[in-house]
Amino acid sequence: MERGELDLFARTLRRATTSHTGEALDTALEEVGWQDALAADARAAVSTLFELQGEAGAASSALDRVMIDGLGLDIGSKAGLLLPALDRWNPPGELDGGRLAIRGLGTAALPSRKTAIVATRSGDRDVAFLVATSELTLRPVRGLDPWLGLVEVSGEVSGTGGDSRRVGWAPAIARGQLALGHELVGASRKMLALAREHALQRVQFGRTISTFQAIRHRLAETLVAIETADAVLGAAWEDGSAQTAAMAKALAGRGARTAVRHCQQVLAGIGFTTEHALHRYIRRVLVLDQLLGSARALTQELGAELLRTKKLPPLLPL
Amino acid sequence: MELDEFRASLDRWLEENAAALAPGSGSAGTLDAQMAQLAKVKRLAYDAGWMRWGWPERVGGRGGSSLLRAYLGEALTARDLVEVGSYCMTEILTPTMVDYAPPELAAAMVPRLLRGDEIWCQGFSEPGTGSNLASLSCRATRTENGWRVTGQKVWTSYAQYAARCVLLTRTGSPESAHKGITAMFVDMDTAGITVRPIEAMHGHKEFCEVFFDDVPVPFERTLGREGQGWSVAMDLLPYERSTSLWHKAAFLHRRLAEALERAPSGALDPARLGEVTQLLYAFRSRSRATQHRLAAGEHLGPETSIDKVLVATAEQAVFDLVADGLASEVTIRDDARGERWRAEFLFSRAATIYGGSAEIQRNIIARRLLDLGTEP
Repeated sequence: MERGELDLFARTLRRATTSHTGEALDTALEEVGWQDALAADARAAVSTLFELQGEAGAASSALDRVMIDGLGLDIGSKAGLLLPALDRWNPPGELDGGRLAIRGLGTAALPSRKTAIVATRSGDRDVAFLVATSELTLRPVRGLDPWLGLVEVSGEVSGTGGDSRRVGWAPAIARGQLALGHELVGASRKMLALAREHALQRVQFGRTISTFQAIRHRLAETLVAIETADAVLGAAWEDGSAQTAAMAKALAGRGARTAVRHCQQVLAGIGFTTEHALHRYIRRVLVLDQLLGSARALTQELGAELLRTKKLPPLLPL
Repeated sequence: MELDEFRASLDRWLEENAAALAPGSGSAGTLDAQMAQLAKVKRLAYDAGWMRWGWPERVGGRGGSSLLRAYLGEALTARDLVEVGSYCMTEILTPTMVDYAPPELAAAMVPRLLRGDEIWCQGFSEPGTGSNLASLSCRATRTENGWRVTGQKVWTSYAQYAARCVLLTRTGSPESAHKGITAMFVDMDTAGITVRPIEAMHGHKEFCEVFFDDVPVPFERTLGREGQGWSVAMDLLPYERSTSLWHKAAFLHRRLAEALERAPSGALDPARLGEVTQLLYAFRSRSRATQHRLAAGEHLGPETSIDKVLVATAEQAVFDLVADGLASEVTIRDDARGERWRAEFLFSRAATIYGGSAEIQRNIIARRLLDLGTEP
């Protein structure tokens, strides 16, 4: 997208994410043609929407669309997508004999879908089954962040049906990790904005606390953590590698934890109440960090992979 | 010339001339050997034309994007042909000459630096002026025949090898702060200049004290106008935090790869290794975007403080990992390899101190990027 077009697109999406969440946001995204944008320019569509969604603290099922596109399936499919279980990034289905055992998560829209796409490993290929949601056990999750509307899914269905298609799981995960990375960055930027605003208003010892170096350095650290993640998200879009996308997700998750630590401390008492918005963002990023691989698990996996191969991943050239 | 073409032809040239470019075996590891190697590589790269790309024609360059010289430094550093700290003085000081020196002075002097004929140094810090650069007191007094400079600089890298110095002096009243500073280009062989190298913790005497005792400097050597020295310094700092950091990323990548190859089994903790790799890739991604902004003609400003925080964090993280993974090299081995790892580990301790400390960078981020207002 060109600069002007992108600005307009962002303004439209901002209106949607700041006024709607959940099903209403899904409808709004449909109305503004976000899916067409996803098909035409995935980077612009994903980075813009998810950063704004993170900033607004809104929820949608856009992650399903991003990953369905990544799988190589029809983006306009009415089916939902089954996400891996908490802190996992392998496919949520497991073929065992003729049965497909399913354990994973879904976005809030899943219960209203007739079918769900369930990816699994079959021999040396990734395939996806279309499974009727009526055959699955769906448990709406309250948990740490009830506003996210996650659904926990389990079940076992026949894995011999003709309704399986070859898909690419790695690109789907990479795209999903980038989307979540942008959402974490958006939420972190919002936490930083809230903490900054408070620091500029709150007066102690006769001066605003923004004049204390201890406060300033916490906020500076937060910005560094956010920009660190943002830089790798950009690099991951450019080099298109699954490993860079995983690094970006890990850095965004860790960066968000850094933002939580510093912003909560700066917002202090008021930030510990439900009267201030901060707690919603804290809840959100702690859960998002656990989707498609936490910072901890992805980092551990990267290190283990490097020790196996004794080689650093390739670098994006200048 | 386009970057892709430049990259391909430069890589070919580096391969074909590998033997001529390689460091001599003699006194490897000493600062003398390092500077001789730097001069040799720059000379060869200049004569073959590489060293001139990315600099304007009016200072002896061949024009083209700054990405070309960013790649040259990356390629030389990634092959361990030059030491990144001394190589980057070119990146830091040439833009100052291009922007602020009288045109004929820049045209005469810059080729000497690019060709490796001369080493230059940067006289900024003073004993009483560390983080608070605007408080500097090395005085330049106007006389009929030019400036007379008296005072002291410290932490001046490579001053004992330097033929010239980009010097910041106080020309206004002592209270004039950043308004009363003037930059000048000083010949280091002028009478009245004394250089005393300081041995740093990593075993090299690369930092120096430089004493100025009534040193004459012609007016034609003024960089910018009288009183414009603060702008000269502020415009130089983003260069110190852009192209040269890209070169540092290439160096850190090489060292991390070596540590990964050489570390004995079990010596590297996977979680820590993963985190350090992520940090290095993040720093590199950030710096890459900065190189592209610079090449697109954007003015670099306080946002480069984030690059600087990231390079310091990444450098210390890589060498903290080295200290664990290659513990015997760093702590007890006395051969050339051990000496090198040890020197580089120890030098990395200064990454949060030099070129604007970690705290100063965070102050800049707070004031300029987060707009938190000035400190009391």
